[in-house]
Amino acid sequence: MRFMVIVKASEQSEGGQSPSAELLADMGKFNEELVKAGVMLAGEGLRPSSEGARIVFSPDVEPSVVDGPFAETKELVGGFWILQGRNKEEIVEWIKRMPNTDGAHHQVEIRRIAEASDFENLTPELAAREDRLRRQVEGQA
Amino acid sequence: MRFMVMVKGSEESESGDQPSKENFEAMIKFNERLAAEGRIVLAEGLTTSSEAVRVWFDGDAEPRVTDGPFAETKELVAGVWILNGESLQDVVELMLQCPNPENSGGVLEIRALDS
Repeated sequence: MRFMVIVKASEQSEGGQSPSAELLADMGKFNEELVKAGVMLAGEGLRPSSEGARIVFSPDVEPSVVDGPFAETKELVGGFWILQGRNKEEIVEWIKRMPNTDGAHHQVEIRRIAEASDFENLTPELAAREDRLRRQVEGQA
Repeated sequence: MRFMVMVKGSEESESGDQPSKENFEAMIKFNERLAAEGRIVLAEGLTTSSEAVRVWFDGDAEPRVTDGPFAETKELVAGVWILNGESLQDVVELMLQCPNPENSGGVLEIRALDS
C-alpha cells in the first residue's frame, strides 16, 4: 500500500525561514533510513504559500485565480513523503520517529493513496489508459 | 521548476462517492495531454480522510495519534500532481484548462517545490 504523508506548514515554513542545519542533517539521516528500508518513494518540501496560487472552479463560470499567501497556516502543506508499507500502522511507526529537531511540525497527516481497484467506475478501457499513462510518466523520469 | 498542484477536499471528495465514468474519462484525457507535454512527475488521488490518521508532535513528548475523518473538509487534500513548469504563471495557465475537479466546483492549490 502507498501513503501520502503530509507535513503541515508552520510559521517558520510559511515565513520562508530555512530549517536549522541540525534538522537538515537529522532529516537526511531519516530519509536514508526510509530509502534503505524500501519505504520511501518520494519526498519534497514546499516553498511558502506566498509563492503559490489557487484556482477556484464554479459551475458555469470561468475559473478564478487567487494569489497566495493563504492564511490558514496550520492547515497548509509544508512538505510530503510518498511511502509504501504493509499497512497504515507501519507508516505511523515510522512517522512517530521523524526528526522534530526545530519543534516546528505540530501535525503530520497520513493518507492512503487510491489504487485502480478502489474505483468501480474505472472501466477496463479507462484502467488500461491510466496504466499506459503511469508507464509513460515512469519512462520519462 | 517543479510545482505541486493539490485538489482541495470537498464534501464530494470526502463523501467517498466515486467519480463518474465521464469525470474519470475527462481527467484521464487531461492527464494524457500533460504527459504528452512531459509535464507529469507524479499524479495520485487520495482516499477519504476517514481512512487517515494524524500524528501530533509536542516538544519531547511521545507523539499522539488521532484517527480520521477530519472536519476541515475544504482544507484537506483530495489529490495531487507534481508538474514541471517554467513559472507559477505557466502552471496556473495550464491548470485553468483542467476539467473542473468536482461537479459542484472545486479548488486547486499550486505550490512551488524547494529546488
